[in-house]
This record gives sequence, C-alpha cells and structure tokens, in this order.
Amino acid sequence: MGAISARGLSKTFSAKVKPEGLAASLRSLVKPERRLVEAVRGVSFEVERGEAVAFLGPNGAGKSTTIKMLTGILHPSGGRAEVLGLDPSRRRVELARSIGAVFGQKSQLWFHLPPSDSFRLLGAVYELDRRAFEARRDELAERFGIRDYLDVPVRKLSLGERIRCEIAASLLHSPAALFLDEPTIGLDVVAKREVRALLEELRADEGTTIFLTSHDIGDIEKVCKRAIVIHHGAVVVDESMKDLKHRSLAKKLVGVKYARPTAIELPGLEPVKRTADAARFEVDTRAHRIEELLRALVELGEVEDLTVEDESLESVIAAIYEDGAGRKE
Amino acid sequence: MSSAAALKARKYLVAASASARARAAYRGDFLGSVIAYCLFVFVFSRVWRSAYAARPSIAGYDYAMSLWYFVVAEIPYFGSSGHFRELAGDIKSGQVAYLVARPYGFVGYRFAQAAGSSLVAVLPILGAGAALGGLVAGPPPLGSAAQAALLAASLALALALQILLQLALALTAFWVEENSAFLWIYQKLALVAGTLLPLEFLPETASRIARWTPFPALAYAPARILVAFAPGPSLRLLGAQAAWCAAAWILCLALYGRGRRRLVSQGG
Repeated sequence: MGAISARGLSKTFSAKVKPEGLAASLRSLVKPERRLVEAVRGVSFEVERGEAVAFLGPNGAGKSTTIKMLTGILHPSGGRAEVLGLDPSRRRVELARSIGAVFGQKSQLWFHLPPSDSFRLLGAVYELDRRAFEARRDELAERFGIRDYLDVPVRKLSLGERIRCEIAASLLHSPAALFLDEPTIGLDVVAKREVRALLEELRADEGTTIFLTSHDIGDIEKVCKRAIVIHHGAVVVDESMKDLKHRSLAKKLVGVKYARPTAIELPGLEPVKRTADAARFEVDTRAHRIEELLRALVELGEVEDLTVEDESLESVIAAIYEDGAGRKE
Repeated sequence: MSSAAALKARKYLVAASASARARAAYRGDFLGSVIAYCLFVFVFSRVWRSAYAARPSIAGYDYAMSLWYFVVAEIPYFGSSGHFRELAGDIKSGQVAYLVARPYGFVGYRFAQAAGSSLVAVLPILGAGAALGGLVAGPPPLGSAAQAALLAASLALALALQILLQLALALTAFWVEENSAFLWIYQKLALVAGTLLPLEFLPETASRIARWTPFPALAYAPARILVAFAPGPSLRLLGAQAAWCAAAWILCLALYGRGRRRLVSQGG
C-alpha cells in the first residue's frame, strides 16, 4: 500500500531581486523586481508503507521544499501529493496527526525546559490521553536511552542527546510516516551510529515509513533501502540502494607500485595518477576485464603492492550531482 | 465538556503553562521589565506632583487618582512585551513553516503561549505597582469585591487585547518584510490614547475619536475602573474590551489564513 505519492509535484516561488547600486535600489522601491524561481519541477515518485527511502540532492536541489509540500507546510504550485491517503495541502491538520517530522537544524524542544515538558506539550498537541502518553513516553525513553536526562533543560544537553530527544518527541503520537531532514547533522560518529540504529529498529518494529534527507552517506547506506536523487528540482535517479551500490561496482580503482621505476603503459587505459614507480587507474569494468588488467600490470615489472577498490558510494552520488550521469531515462 | 473537547482544550492550557515556565527561566528579562515599570511610575509620580502643585484636580482627577491611573494603565503594556518580535521573527526567518503543520489552531496556540508568558511577566509588575502606588499615593481606591473582580477582568481583557493586536501586527510580516514601523505607530497611538494620560485629559474631539479606537480598551478601561468605579460605566468598558478582543481575534484569524498561503520557505 502506498504511503507517499508525488505526481508532477512542482513549486515556483516569486523572489524579490535587489539589484546593485543606489539608483537601482531607489528604482526597486517604486517598482520592485521579482524573479520566478522553480524550486521543484514535476517531481514524481511513490513510497510504499514501511519503506525507508533516501531523498538526496545537492544544496538547492529542492529536497526541503519537496518535504515541506509533503508535510503540508507549503502549497504546491502544480501536481499532486498524497501522504497516507491524504492531500497534505488540503488536510494538513488531519495529516499532522499521522506523520512525524525531524528537521535536524530546527528544534521542536523548548530550549530552557527539560525534554519531559516538551514531551508533555506535544502529547497534549496530539491529543493523547494521559495514560497513553505516559506509556508511549516511557517506551520511547527506554528505546532511545534518554530516561536519565528527560528532566535536564535542553540547553544543557549534548547535540547527540538532543537529537535523540528530538526524534523521540516526533514519535510520541506513533506516526505512520516519519520525515527526517538532516537528522544527524553535527553529530559525532558514535551518536550518528546510534541514531541510524534507532531508525532502522523503528522501521523494523513499528513498520514506520521513513523518508530521509541527508548529505551523510552513512545515514543513507545504513537506514535506507532505496534512493531518490533530485537535481535542479527534478528526479534524476530513483533506484534501490542495491542498484546504486552496483553502480559503484562498475568502476574499480586499481593502484600499483613497483619495486623499481617502470614504464607503466597499458593499451587503451590512461592512469589518473602516475609516478616513476607507481600508478593509479580508474577502470570501467564494462570496458576492461579486471583480471586481464591485473595480469598486464604484473607482467610490466616486479610488483611491490597492488590494490583494487570499489568506487565509494559518495563518489557515485557526487558524479550524479555533477553531471547528471544517472539521469532517469 | 466531552473528553474529546477536553483533550482539544488541554493543548492550549499546556502550551500556556510551558510558555509560563520558559518565561520564568528568563529571570533577568522579567526583572528588567519590573525595574523599567517602577522607574516609569516613579518618574510620573514626580511629574504629577509638579502638575498638581498649583491645583488640586485636573479634569476631575486628583493626584492620587492620576497616579493610580498610571500604575494600572501601564501594567498591560509592560506585561505583554515581546510577542510581536517573537512571531514577526518566526515569520521572517521562515521558522513559522515548522510550526504550522501541527494539529492545532495556530492563532489560538500562539495566543495561549503569549498569555502564559505574559501571566508570569505581569504578576511581579502587579505586585510592584501595588507597592509603589501605595507608597507614593496612599492605598488604592478599591471599595468593593465587585470592583476588584471587574478590575481583574478588565486587566485580563486588556492584556489579551495587547497580545492579540501584537500578533495581528506581527502577522503582517507575511506581506511586509520590515513591519516594525507598524508596532512603533501602534505603541505611540496607544500611549497617547489612554496609557500615559486618561482620555478626559485629551481635547474633546481627540477624546471622542479615541473612544472609537481599540486603544482605550488597552489601558484606560482597567485604570478607570480602579479610579472612578461605577457599575454601569465599568460594565460598558468591559463590554467594549470584550468586543475589541473578539474583533482582534477575527483579524488575526483572517491575517493568518491569508498569510499562510503566501508562506515561502526555501532551503533547509
């Protein structure tokens, strides 16, 4: 069953333009100039219930705008969105009861109050009765390991502790879908790992649909089973993480170091880096057989070291961002 | 009240209570308000002392009445500062985008938060005003429990109207990037029309015009109920305050309803 559906979703803003110079500034007082910005251009995708999807794209690609349309914050300029069977722009309040949202850079906890106070307020906002609220709060406190600092003012918590509380707060009303925008931003490696494990556990135990935006490849790899990449407001890749990882297998990074200076020449393959006794090649495995390449390198001289690495997922995604190599066909 | 309705109402009460506790955390902030308020009252007590040196009464007010008028008239103003800045800031920074997608009435929720915060701010001001007024002008002219009840109700309505008008002005940030000038004009008009001076001190025409504006409901009404209590006129003042509150509430709903559609929020 579908959890999130976007069909030709688009958002156009009218942004004020402030030209340089005093004369232009005075002119704009009388006749302000505006420019249309197409933040999202006809984005379409479907997300099933219980799926964990990474929604990726470079800065300014339209990710946050799309999330804001899906959560009912912004009205789309065109197209249709449906989340848990509801149109977010028309039934925003009703939808808010069934979804949760975590914006890593925006806190929903009261800074000067302990998380327990914010939890109580959110429990009231989502109209949970006292018993249901307390049971859910205790369950989440246990799962997220936050019991010990529920009564400490938020301003005194570490970022990792705060983010755990943020996520727990967004789950108090047991949302069927959770939208996360950069949830691990600024966290150290241990805290990141913990947050990812909690999200994975949440999906497995409660069947929560997870829609995650992050620039952190670790978040994407550990939490998500599928990736949607948008660029300049349009979807350029929509495929499983498995397929995305396969892209990285299509390119191998081969490094060789010889015992003494060697003429490293291979027909049809230029090294990306070369010294007198070493070289590094980026090999497209669809054009070259690795086995033959390694044999050729060994035949060139006495090999001291030989390495074969997959291209990192980060590089694959960077390549998609840079040149639209993965543009949807 | 049904349990569903009670749960709906509870969110606003809890919001007010959370906001009150958060405000209490800013001790320096409300201490500052109390000090500024006391300073104002003290300075005006000197001004009135000089003004009344040559005559026992001005426009029907003697020295004690004028001073107690000022003590009460300033309370809603000092007890409700900051709500414009907070909401206008949220709209301009785009933070409001993260607050609108929640299952609550936005205006009611913001009002509850502001009221909780103001309640904490106003109580020490009330205490300081009573003490300072008593010290410089003698005991307050409170003659009956009915007058005290009407005064409390009028102060509550004045505070509510202060908050609602600030929220309404702040909501114009959906249209106007720099809307602080609106607050500035509003504050100056409120000062002239009933806060610094009773309406009876104004020229006849100005006084008549001021009575058709919401400004007397912000300060004049509770102050007048204290210094010149009469059941009939006091109830009429209270009725006018309630009507202005209802109008300001409707204005906030209309501004929010229209403004929300203009919400533009790009980037993370």
